[in-house]
Amino acid sequence: MLTSKVFLRKTKRGKVLKVVREHYLRDDLWCGSELCKKCGQENSDVLDKSPVSSSTLCAFPHYIVIDTNIVLHQIDVLESPAWKNVILLQTVLEETRKRSTNNYKKLREIMATRKDSFYVFVNEHHKDTYVERKPGESANDRNDRAIRKACSWYQTHLEESQKGTDKKKQIKVVLLTQDFKNREQACNEGIPTYKVDEYVKSLKDFPDLQEKLAASHSESNNENREPLYPEHLAPTRIMSGIKSGKLLQGVFHSSRENFLEGTVSVEGQDKSILLQGHASLNRAVDGDVVAVELLPEDKWTSPSGIVLEDQEEQDPGDEIEKEEKLLIDSTKSKDRQPTGKIVGIIRRKWRQYCGILLPSVLPEGTRHLFVPAERKIPKIRIETRQAVTLSSQKIIVAIDSWPRTSRYPLGHFVRALGNIGDKDTENEVLLLEHDVPHHSFPETVLACLPSMPWMITEEEVNRREDLRHLDICSVDPPGCTDIDDALHFRELSPNLYEIGVHIADVSHFVRPDTALDKEAANRGTTVYLVDRRIDMVPELLSSNLCSLRPDQERLAFSVIWQVTADAEIQKTRFTKSVIRSRRAFTYAEAQCNIDDSLQQNELAKSLRGLNKLAKILKKNRMDKGALQLSSPEIRFEVSTETNDPIDVISKPMLDTNSMVEEFMLLANISVADHIFKHFPECAVLRRHPVPPASNFEPFLKAGKTQGFTLDVSSNKALAASLDAAVKPDNVYMNTMLRILATRCMMQAVYFSSGTVAQVDFYHYGLAAPIYTHFTSPIRRYADLLVHRLLAVAVGADVTYTELLNRKCAQQLCNNLNYRHKMSQYAQRSSVALHTHLFFRHRVQDEDAYVLFVRQNALQVLIPKYGLEGSIYLKGNDGDSKLDFVYNPDEPSQTCGNVTIRTFDRVVVQVSLDSKYVQHQKIAVHLVHPKIAGLSVDAIEIPKTDEPRTKKLKGGK
Amino acid sequence: MAEILLSEAEKAYIHHGVQDDLRCDGRTRLDYRPIILETGLVSNASGSARLRLANSDILVGVKVELASPLPDKPKEGRLEFFVDCSANATPEFEGRGGEDLANEICRFLQRSYASGDTINLSELSVLTGQQCWVLYVDILILECGGNLYDAVSLAVKSALYATQIPSIKVATMDGDQPELELSDDPYDTKRLNTENIPCVVTLMKIGNHYLVDPTPEEECCSSSGIVVAVSGNKKITAVRKIGSGSLHPDSLVSMLKTGSEVGAVVNTILMKKLLEEETLEVSQKVGFMR
Repeated sequence: MLTSKVFLRKTKRGKVLKVVREHYLRDDLWCGSELCKKCGQENSDVLDKSPVSSSTLCAFPHYIVIDTNIVLHQIDVLESPAWKNVILLQTVLEETRKRSTNNYKKLREIMATRKDSFYVFVNEHHKDTYVERKPGESANDRNDRAIRKACSWYQTHLEESQKGTDKKKQIKVVLLTQDFKNREQACNEGIPTYKVDEYVKSLKDFPDLQEKLAASHSESNNENREPLYPEHLAPTRIMSGIKSGKLLQGVFHSSRENFLEGTVSVEGQDKSILLQGHASLNRAVDGDVVAVELLPEDKWTSPSGIVLEDQEEQDPGDEIEKEEKLLIDSTKSKDRQPTGKIVGIIRRKWRQYCGILLPSVLPEGTRHLFVPAERKIPKIRIETRQAVTLSSQKIIVAIDSWPRTSRYPLGHFVRALGNIGDKDTENEVLLLEHDVPHHSFPETVLACLPSMPWMITEEEVNRREDLRHLDICSVDPPGCTDIDDALHFRELSPNLYEIGVHIADVSHFVRPDTALDKEAANRGTTVYLVDRRIDMVPELLSSNLCSLRPDQERLAFSVIWQVTADAEIQKTRFTKSVIRSRRAFTYAEAQCNIDDSLQQNELAKSLRGLNKLAKILKKNRMDKGALQLSSPEIRFEVSTETNDPIDVISKPMLDTNSMVEEFMLLANISVADHIFKHFPECAVLRRHPVPPASNFEPFLKAGKTQGFTLDVSSNKALAASLDAAVKPDNVYMNTMLRILATRCMMQAVYFSSGTVAQVDFYHYGLAAPIYTHFTSPIRRYADLLVHRLLAVAVGADVTYTELLNRKCAQQLCNNLNYRHKMSQYAQRSSVALHTHLFFRHRVQDEDAYVLFVRQNALQVLIPKYGLEGSIYLKGNDGDSKLDFVYNPDEPSQTCGNVTIRTFDRVVVQVSLDSKYVQHQKIAVHLVHPKIAGLSVDAIEIPKTDEPRTKKLKGGK
Repeated sequence: MAEILLSEAEKAYIHHGVQDDLRCDGRTRLDYRPIILETGLVSNASGSARLRLANSDILVGVKVELASPLPDKPKEGRLEFFVDCSANATPEFEGRGGEDLANEICRFLQRSYASGDTINLSELSVLTGQQCWVLYVDILILECGGNLYDAVSLAVKSALYATQIPSIKVATMDGDQPELELSDDPYDTKRLNTENIPCVVTLMKIGNHYLVDPTPEEECCSSSGIVVAVSGNKKITAVRKIGSGSLHPDSLVSMLKTGSEVGAVVNTILMKKLLEEETLEVSQKVGFMR
């Protein structure tokens, strides 16, 4: 049977189209019940013959039909194994897909994993259950009617098959819906129907399930409360506002330091818009796409100088005024920036959040506050009965809604990860928080690996250049198992050297369009946590077959230059090769070999030659304006037994580090040049945009307080002024400036050369006109793409369509950029986590430097741990007033005869604040200079010496 | 138009029949042949009709589209006619063979609808000076069985009667950019007032008499005739003379008079039938599967 669906559609250009789709109705769609004798189905076991009802509400055997609103709002509940004999109607599936892709995806997953419990009935194509839209009926009403029609069809259909059975044992169809009108009409039609929360609560075998019920809006008891937040505008008004320019659309970022502040970055505007206070933030959560209205210019303000954490230790109820005051009271500096308020949310970017429960005064109660691990996310109010068990666990929570009457968003508990403080749990949290794919590799991926034992075939050797005779060695950090680069050096004639950089040929193993390739492309990068490595490709490749191990024959992709003694490149050559590394040095070993003049073997000589050339190369690069920036990097010494950190060491910088780096840069640049020449449209390159001038403001300010005029007009000028900014009495000051400068930089990004104008290829940090990543294909997917491009360019491999498609390349690049950013965040969090673990059993006094002076706090950097902390200037016992005088222009804080300014050296005591077991944080207390009421006593005689103390006390 | 070969004897036979007011197929001079009409059978179109008058077979589709109104008529929408003579009708239409006839019909339709009395074009206005509906009336001649003008005009009127114009609201005015909002209910449409849309009556003169609804054979025997477009309120909106022969003023006047009378009757009957079709219980469309 054929009918047609007619609907009208407005095209983007404003045309009205009448669309007609043919719609076929069938009479051979089975009902899916084991009981049914009428349908022609075989072996249907989805819907049981005699379903057991665990619900007290409807004790009779029944099948369940769910309405769309349950899928849309209660998707987490559906994941439970409590659901059996569920009929999913096509109407529901389609409506879900239209309304929420996310939930649709989740529903598909549930359906895939629980095939035996969910039966999809294609009611839209069944001749008896199809309903046509009536004149004057809304699409929603029509769908509701279709659902009811399917219910009653099932009812009569099943009745026919169980004639003669006891009335009480007859299977009925129960409709679950939240829609009041639908329920009412279903009742009239004789279909048993319940609300999902009623039903779930009546399931006696699954008492925990109701925890997962999303808070429903209509029933929240604060209906009659005074709204705390202004209204959001309707989508149509937002759209027209944005079109007319009255409103601006942008991404909301909440501030890390002050939970009542945030910014919205609007595309195409240099300065982001500042938002202050609850009303202006108006329920936006970090990452949301929002509509902002700018305030008149006389109401513009500047970010407040205070550090404000939402420190409520208990649920404060729905009150927001108190904190607002704090914000208003704070002094503001003079320069103001565009300020606005959020009037509407265009797209929510809510995801699931990891965190912990806030200890409640009433642990037996059901309403609790949840504190996300991510500081930028507000606390979330959830309902749970398991607070007592959950209070010691890390849990995952999803936000459901944020009504105007509630101070915090409402959410529900999703699942528990494990005990707080457990390293595995914490690792899991940080991987989840940063969206790092860390599941083990699936079978399909492992099937792509070569079988062991693996040998290089004769054929393969013939295809490649045989470089096994060369004295190649690798230099890496200690404990490195994925060695992806090796070097060689050879004197051709007194003034002519040959240098080779040999990179693991991962593209030989990871062929395009295989499951392995797709997995690697999705992971994008290997993530190095302090105690764990999450590989991009399976370990067999990363630590064995691709890794350029010493004394083993390996496939490589080599870049070979001929250079003069002045490091001038005469000839560049790229080739696929077979190599045999003679030795895997660590940086320190290599350094020893260079320094020890007794060592006269070939490798030591090579290393010396390489080192000499590297120094020239580095100098050339610096002269061109490359930046030497600094960010504190540390390494944990991990106990072999407990895997807990026992000591912290800063990574030492040796000559050999920079030597390897120099040749990698050279290889990258050479390769970038070459692939861009061959593929001007689709070469995968890396650029580092020039930061806009406004980025440098905090940096310039900091320089001024130290009496340096810093020039940021170009990278060369910046490098020069950084070099000049040295104070003999404060050696670390220069490093601090470099740290600050690093924070002004933009993110370097991968891109496809066809999508960006050639002038923008520039790499600001390296001062290179063109750059790419070629040297680490084991741990970065971008390098793998570059390998493929280069292989095609030198005729060693064939192309495939995606490789040459600029759009595909850009899409890949976008993913890589995202993964790369996330992996960096994850690595940082991992370090922070281990710092926590490190301080669990110790208190230590350390040197620290003031990074920022705020109105109510000092932010200090402890270089030894690369740790940042805040010292709140409010006295140890809470409310005792300290007469600190804040000078926002300098900025400085003065108390009595002590003045503290940016970059000053202080001594602090670092410990783990374990007042609350659930919410441990690193606490930083001032030891030196001594300020009565604020500083704490040193636990040991600090190693600081007199002159420094004098300087601090010198004051004004 | 398609020529038919007739012998002198056959022509004389037709002549005599007309004289005696009994035509070859048994009709009197002012009788129409049976008409089969169905609307709404092209689901993709906003309105459609298929009409079969004996062997004349016409399919009309109306498509509505938004466009900007003409500068001199900012408050009005417009109608655009397009006639296509299918080569199915007669081999002569192949290639560009049917173009002359198509243009002729098209022009006459345009002329007969041009009068302000026929259709209220301001109904089609959406936003003065900015947006209006344009009705594209596409006429497909599938078979020629004589009296094309009448058949086409009836089919067009029926199609316009069935046309559903989506209801559209001007949601917001932002600066001078209107934001049009389309109702999501496909049933939420409006219809044109087609009461006064003209029907065309062709009167052919054979001997001293004239007749309506000529068959191709009768058209062959006639040397002249007129085509009259009569609106619902009995007004003549367009007249055109066809054939090479001349007409005496007296007979012209009397033909016009008869034409307007016949037109009015056809109009009422058509409206009645269309209404009847609409009130029918929903049934399968017959279309071409008969």
